[in-house]
Amino acid sequence: MTTPPTSDIDLFADGVVLDPYPVYAELREQGPVVRLRKNDVHVLTRYDAIRDALADWESFSSASIGFNPMTNEALAGTSLASDPPMHTQLRATLTENLSPRALRGLKGRIEVKADALVAELVEKGTFEAIDALARAFPLEVVADLIGFTGHVRDNMLRWGQAAMQVIGPMNQRTAESFPIAGELYSWCSQVRATDLTEGSVGRGIFDAEARGTVPPNTAGHIIHQYLGAGVDTTVAAIGNIVALFGSHPDQLDLIRQDPSLVPAAFNEVLRFWAPVHAWGRRTTKDVDIDGAVIPAGAQVAILFGAGNRDPRHYENPDAFLVERNPIDHLSFGYGPHGCAGQGLARLEAHAVIEALSRRVKRLVVGPEVRVPSNITRSIEELPVLEVIPA
Amino acid sequence: MKIVLDRPRCEGHGLCEEAAPQLMHLDDDGELVLDREQVDEADAALVNAAVRVCPVAALRIV
Ligand code: SF4
Repeated sequence: MTTPPTSDIDLFADGVVLDPYPVYAELREQGPVVRLRKNDVHVLTRYDAIRDALADWESFSSASIGFNPMTNEALAGTSLASDPPMHTQLRATLTENLSPRALRGLKGRIEVKADALVAELVEKGTFEAIDALARAFPLEVVADLIGFTGHVRDNMLRWGQAAMQVIGPMNQRTAESFPIAGELYSWCSQVRATDLTEGSVGRGIFDAEARGTVPPNTAGHIIHQYLGAGVDTTVAAIGNIVALFGSHPDQLDLIRQDPSLVPAAFNEVLRFWAPVHAWGRRTTKDVDIDGAVIPAGAQVAILFGAGNRDPRHYENPDAFLVERNPIDHLSFGYGPHGCAGQGLARLEAHAVIEALSRRVKRLVVGPEVRVPSNITRSIEELPVLEVIPA
Repeated sequence: MKIVLDRPRCEGHGLCEEAAPQLMHLDDDGELVLDREQVDEADAALVNAAVRVCPVAALRIV
């Protein structure tokens, strides 16, 4: 047994968060676990190590999902940051309105919305894909679902973005985002049933609280998690769909010829570009990974994107191939903390891919603009210069 | 071998059904039903696939 190899890479440096894949490859070759001196974290880099850690909540506690103590303190007691048995109860509450079961009635409406939006954009011929589609669509779906109106609706994107940003280490991006994440936090701690549209899921959570199925005073926390975890990541995923279809017209053709590839295509988009860069855990004991030991109490960073490109698990991992159907990709996490909103994310993304593949023959896209961000890896601007309709 | 479902953990994502429709399905309420719990070695690949794809690790083999 040895100590893990070390590296001087800064996981949150601008250049790394903008284009992490070369760094992921370098770290992955060093070993399944590498200690980053600058960040004082142990990163998990290979598919098997990541998947095993996600399943092993007893060794890898979620009490430290963030890379600064303030955020971890603020998240204490939420489903995101707790371990079983407490987590199990909180998670059930969180997913009660988000499970595929609960969402079944929504599928048709989401598909109609996606189709109308895509039809409108195809008609226009040129558009900015991130604002007009990647942001517009999930915002509308989530706002309607939870029942947000007015200034909350207007702030969802800013708040959602900040909520992810503050999970990073105490760098300038984190510091600047704290006040904005605080706006979301304070709104959620005061929100009342009547602030949300009648018949919405948000209202449903308050009804559940009144009935006693949700512990008292937790409705606001649940809404906080829906918004904090669900908006920014979905925006990233949908932007990635447009960018990857634009740059891989042959792959879009495959879906056009065989619409049953839609779910497979979404899995491949998530595998190829993971929306979340790094996510934390803390070891509760010494953990041996292939002979290298992470000491108890160490801050760990799970690199989903590195695992998703591990050639030990996926053949030709740097190619974007929609027929691959990597159903076991790591981008939604796995196990007890596997993304609680993945059912909704799938509904939204499948509807968008389906509408695009039905209405579009080719997307000619300009260069994508990215800005550095701690946790969510997304495209900031993506011009669609020309749409060749189907 | 036997498939075991941790029912409270199952959220009805149905990915297991896609992987092994011969062994399990979601009923009309979206609840997972194991059509066969006791399976023989011949179906090992199917069972493993179903266990592997469950995103919340609600299925186990004993
Ligand atoms: S994949 Fe897992 S969560 Fe989904 S229905 Fe099957 S057992 Fe339940």
